[in-house]
Amino acid sequence: MGESARPFAHLGAENAATYRAVLRMFADARDRYVLPLRPEDVVEDLAVVGSPVAVDVVENALTSLVGWGNLRADPDTGRVTTVEDFHRSRLLYQLTPEGQAAERAVRLYEETVGRRGALQAVALEDVAEHLRSLVVLLAATGPPDAARTQHLLTALTQRLETLADNAAAFMSSMQRSIDLQDADADAFVAYKDRLIDYLERFLSDLTTTGAEISGLVLRAEDLGVHAAVQAVAEREAADLAPGDDDETREREREQVRHGWEQRWRGMHTWFVGSRENPSQKDVLRRRGRSAIPQLLRAVNVLNERRSGRSDRSADFRRLAVWFAEAPEDATRHRLWHTAFGLSASRHLSIDGDSLTAQAAGAPRIVPWAEAEPLRISPQFRRTGHHERRGRPARVQDRSAQRRHLAELAAREQERLQVAQTELVGGGPRRVRDLPQLSSTAFSVFLGLLGHAIAARRPDALQAPCEATSADGSLRVRLTPLPGADVVPLRTEDGVLHLPDALVEIIGTDPGVRAP
Amino acid sequence: MSTDLSGRLAADRQHERRRAARALLLRPLLRPTGRDADTFVLVRRHADWLRRWFDLNTGWRLRVEPELARLEKVAVDGDDATRPLLDAQRRPYSRRRYVLLCLALAVLSRSEAQTTLGALADEVLLQFSDPALVAAGIEFRLDHVEERRDLVAVVRTLLDLGALSRVSGDEDAYLRSVGDVLYDVDRHVLASLLTTPRGPSTVTAATAAARIDALTAVPPPLSEDARARAVRHRLTRRLLDDPVLLLTDLDADELAYFTSQRRALTDRVEELTGLVAEVRAEGVAMVDPADELTDLRMPEDGTDGHVALLVAEFLTAHAPAAVSVDDLRREVHRLAGRHRTDWRKGSDEPGQEITLVATALDRLTALRLVLVDRGSVTALPPLHRYALRTPTPLEGS
Repeated sequence: MGESARPFAHLGAENAATYRAVLRMFADARDRYVLPLRPEDVVEDLAVVGSPVAVDVVENALTSLVGWGNLRADPDTGRVTTVEDFHRSRLLYQLTPEGQAAERAVRLYEETVGRRGALQAVALEDVAEHLRSLVVLLAATGPPDAARTQHLLTALTQRLETLADNAAAFMSSMQRSIDLQDADADAFVAYKDRLIDYLERFLSDLTTTGAEISGLVLRAEDLGVHAAVQAVAEREAADLAPGDDDETREREREQVRHGWEQRWRGMHTWFVGSRENPSQKDVLRRRGRSAIPQLLRAVNVLNERRSGRSDRSADFRRLAVWFAEAPEDATRHRLWHTAFGLSASRHLSIDGDSLTAQAAGAPRIVPWAEAEPLRISPQFRRTGHHERRGRPARVQDRSAQRRHLAELAAREQERLQVAQTELVGGGPRRVRDLPQLSSTAFSVFLGLLGHAIAARRPDALQAPCEATSADGSLRVRLTPLPGADVVPLRTEDGVLHLPDALVEIIGTDPGVRAP
Repeated sequence: MSTDLSGRLAADRQHERRRAARALLLRPLLRPTGRDADTFVLVRRHADWLRRWFDLNTGWRLRVEPELARLEKVAVDGDDATRPLLDAQRRPYSRRRYVLLCLALAVLSRSEAQTTLGALADEVLLQFSDPALVAAGIEFRLDHVEERRDLVAVVRTLLDLGALSRVSGDEDAYLRSVGDVLYDVDRHVLASLLTTPRGPSTVTAATAAARIDALTAVPPPLSEDARARAVRHRLTRRLLDDPVLLLTDLDADELAYFTSQRRALTDRVEELTGLVAEVRAEGVAMVDPADELTDLRMPEDGTDGHVALLVAEFLTAHAPAAVSVDDLRREVHRLAGRHRTDWRKGSDEPGQEITLVATALDRLTALRLVLVDRGSVTALPPLHRYALRTPTPLEGS
């Protein structure tokens, strides 16, 4: 864009509508390949599309637009037919490149935000307003006025429907802009600031007004909105043309009632979510939130492309064309190797014998032809196979054995866990107070005991000693009791007699807890 | 004891780094799930060290993120036609498949997080209306089973790269027009496929060669240091990626740098990868004692591997004279008769030798062992690694 060009200035100017209409005219004309326009052409065209504007207004608009850089004015050298025309400054106008880009941007913006799929904060406010009135109505003493309730509920559901439709349309158009096409890149960059501003505004509205609405919905339900909905349905059913018989009437009434209940439920799910089902409002907010960084990423991609970094998808498309245009296969293989850099390194091999033979060879550097060639087995030279040919040895499938081992290991692990829970915890206990031990627990206990005894200092055999099991999962503290009796320790495998002592076993790993 | 331990730790660390580096060199795009899961852990663990190494020695960027690891290999020059994209049957991509692949990627770059094969096909179909593609005379209408097969081959490549992952359905059902397939789209992978300094869409060159040049063009170095660094990067890239570095392939700057710094360059590559430098008068090959850091093997079991070896023998026996492709075909046809029981059925039928020789020469060219020019084949020096040994009398056979 030129330094002084401000092609978006007209959006904030007074008479923005006129400027928009004029510029749309120019863009349409350009689509028809009509490049320069005279002021009178513009006036005429505007009249045709049904928004007539006076000539002087158009002239002023054109002058301003030239000033902002949207249009370029060139002297009109065409032949004239009246004197006054001749004396008027005659100019031909056409869009500048900046003006074109801006026009594309504004169009994109209008498509995404302006007309289709706009997220109307206004609609939110309307919904809140109707709900407030409804709550007031319900809170009043006496039965609610059915006619007013009906009117409010109808207005409410209509607003909600447009809001929901718009939200859906907005989300899909948002996705489209994120997957933007190259052609719209400039436009996109130009309009993304506005879009993001707009999104952020809407999101904050959604947060505040949305929260109020969900409160109002719940309040209305507390105040007996369901009964009111029923009454409205009754009223509406009564307005229906009387059916042939009671049964048909009843069925129709039922349908109407069901319809209204559904609408209210829709309102509820839109604004009030639950843990399992987040409300539509929250989904929309999340989508809107995530759209912002996505948009920014898309902008980054575009900026990278402008700074010479390229867009990956375009890179691949270009490469496809190169592969298609390459003269022969060899060139294609070169291109693959160069562009993707995924080829494997390639090396000649050498066997141990040749390596040894070469190492023992002459220290000076000789040509390949004079060096020892590789030792290739005569068998291979004769047949092309290193092994004697025959049935190849069947590869043993050891998965069954592996599974078996894995099961064993798992079982062992489980048993250990159980054993540890038998032993761990309960603070210091005397050996004679220990319960009967399972055989796994007993072997763990014996191991610990051995470690503890081995850890004693030879000069202090009666002092308390501590040790850790071989796998580090248990710690034992053993305090010998001088002059203690020999006590029996009962286990699954038999009885062990040993001097009584204080034993405390602690699990070091959080997986082992006291039972 | 403690020195032992720290020695062990250092050795472990080096071993892990080598495994990580090899994994990246073999598959420059690794993902945390599936077959790369183990090496991905190692790459993440040593990401800083690896990143520094590649940055310092090759100028290749290494990106390690929770979702993927990508070594952004930039080709030394755009002149390597021996590394085509291969489909699941290891057949090089055709023109239509390359075009389809790029269009599918273009579509996926703008798609939602999930898509189906049917939806992808429709979108790609639309992309074919691009005037430039129409002008190039390429068509795609999806009304032939052959076209559907091409599309499925492309999708399988995308699955292999991790750009797509299958959620339900299978491609064969789609081929038989009885079902669709649902995929998750991985944006991280899509974003990391192109490694060129410039985006192709910013290049306006008109010929294929100029386009490839434009993709690889780097700004000229401004200082003496930068120039030396650029030369070091180019040489190390060759050592890491190519089977053989011949002195005759180097320009004056590269040759001067390589002659004075050869040992430092190869030692560094050795430290990273565990490859061993085979230094000869004509150049260097970084060879792999583990025989895994490569996409093509020599020698390799099977008919094609055997033919390649016998062709190599034949060529070295005639070196330094060039051999015509016709002579090679006659020789291979003769050999096919002799190896009727060893080779694929039907290899000895007349006409088969044409394919056999072409396949063998493709392999030898890709391994930088021969030069094929207008129907005559010249052995490059490293081909002599595969010459018949004349057993010395001291050795038992």
